[in-house]
Amino acid sequence: MEYLASAGMLIGIYIILAASYNLIIGYGGLNTIAHPIFFALGAYTAALLGIGTTLPSVVCVLAGIGVAVVASVALAVTTLRIEGDYLLIASLGFQLGLLQLVNNFEFTGGPAGLSNIPVTITGPGRGWLYLLICAVLAVVVVWLIWRAMAGPFGRAVRAMRDDELACAALGRSLFTMKIVIFAFGCGAAGLAGGLYAYYFQYISPEQFNVAQSATILTMVVLGGIGTTWGPLVGAFVLVALPQAITFMQLPTSLVGPLQGIIFTVLVILFLFLRPYGLVGKREAGVAH
Amino acid sequence: MGEILRIENLCKQFGGIVVADDISLTLDAGEIVGLIGPNGAGKTSLFNLISGVVQPDSGRIFLQGRPLEGPLHRRARAGVVRTWQHMRLFRSMTVIENMLVATREYPGESMLRSMFATASVRRAEAEARARAMDLLARMGLTQTADNIVVDLPFGQQKLIGLARALMNDGRCLLLDEPMAGVEGSNYETMQRIVRDEASAGRAVCVVEHNVSFIKDLCTHAVFMAQGKILQRGSVDELTRSRELTELYFGTVDASVDA
Repeated sequence: MEYLASAGMLIGIYIILAASYNLIIGYGGLNTIAHPIFFALGAYTAALLGIGTTLPSVVCVLAGIGVAVVASVALAVTTLRIEGDYLLIASLGFQLGLLQLVNNFEFTGGPAGLSNIPVTITGPGRGWLYLLICAVLAVVVVWLIWRAMAGPFGRAVRAMRDDELACAALGRSLFTMKIVIFAFGCGAAGLAGGLYAYYFQYISPEQFNVAQSATILTMVVLGGIGTTWGPLVGAFVLVALPQAITFMQLPTSLVGPLQGIIFTVLVILFLFLRPYGLVGKREAGVAH
Repeated sequence: MGEILRIENLCKQFGGIVVADDISLTLDAGEIVGLIGPNGAGKTSLFNLISGVVQPDSGRIFLQGRPLEGPLHRRARAGVVRTWQHMRLFRSMTVIENMLVATREYPGESMLRSMFATASVRRAEAEARARAMDLLARMGLTQTADNIVVDLPFGQQKLIGLARALMNDGRCLLLDEPMAGVEGSNYETMQRIVRDEASAGRAVCVVEHNVSFIKDLCTHAVFMAQGKILQRGSVDELTRSRELTELYFGTVDASVDA
């Protein structure tokens, strides 16, 4: 049963990641694939504080969110002022550079990562209790994003996506809207990182590399970019699918490459056959 | 009535092309000024300079005595609003959504306030919705409110472009070819609304090739060519001027009753 709780945790964490990434790329139209680095900032901050201090775990997770938000704002402020897709390049550079540092610093555990993250909840119900917390937080994140996008803010964001110049000429500050979207999305990724670190009690740099970027992107594209439910469906399918593959008892040397191939084929197929994803409708009008 | 917009010695050059050559102009409340001139005269460029799409090389603009500077959205918030020759409507959105986005005070622009639908957001939304419906009623377009804007006939889209700009409630209204492609009852509506808005104390500036529209509507007109203001006067004076007619139409003996 612990296995099911752990799979559930993964789904919950990926729902937070995919929903927040969808906010950034699907609704906000901000091109970045470096979502995992904010996931990593949340995870490492929470883990390091948990290991090195006696602060309550909630505070450590909140600090992780804070670090992710600050880093995202710094990145957005410096790149969004320039016209063009500098955010994409800067965020990717930020991801690769920071991972390189994490890989080489002693205090981050280097490539081996951190494995001594303190136990916060004990007892037989640990897994289920964590799952409950994670599920509640995932619902809150999805609900907040849905609320924001269904209201006047979302309307202004859609206007921005339709026509930036016209939107700005009517008094909307595109810069502010973009920064807020990016900061909120990255903060949510930081939250997912904190949850991940405390539940699995082990983090390493390779969990936050570009392959992770591809996984989250696949979830959003497969589920339906720019939709409320798409990221949820995508996260569920793409967590469940590899688990199912594991059950097929294939040799481990095959499982890794097979997953890669399946993810890639899925993205390509969906882009051609169903560009609006599993739940997306053509007239969703928020993503192209 | 008082001065709304004052432009002083505005200059702008793109490489070797001069789009604004020492332009000075004032727009008063209640005035409808026609901006005419041949293609490439710098009419739309002047709108771009006023609304902040491009920044001038030199020269200054004042709105009701205060310097009008900075990026687009700040100028719109100050009360300068424009329409576009190609409308630039938000194509995935309904008519009313297009209009609501244009509200000058838009507390929903804060993600958090929008998320939790604070009292100020709800109040602003309700007020804006009422104002948008009023505007649509004045245009006889009430029943289009929930249509996707690009599904409307062209003439109605042009009216929505104007309605959207009017949601800003700014004192200075810049209309870029509002009549191009507009006929029949929509033409009459456009004229009526523009006239009413000027009477309500706005300063209106219209770029338009439809000379009869300019004649019907404008208190006076400004003739531009090659980034310069050549003459300012009544529409009749300008259209009677042989020199300007020649510049505009490229022929000496063209009729000006276009």
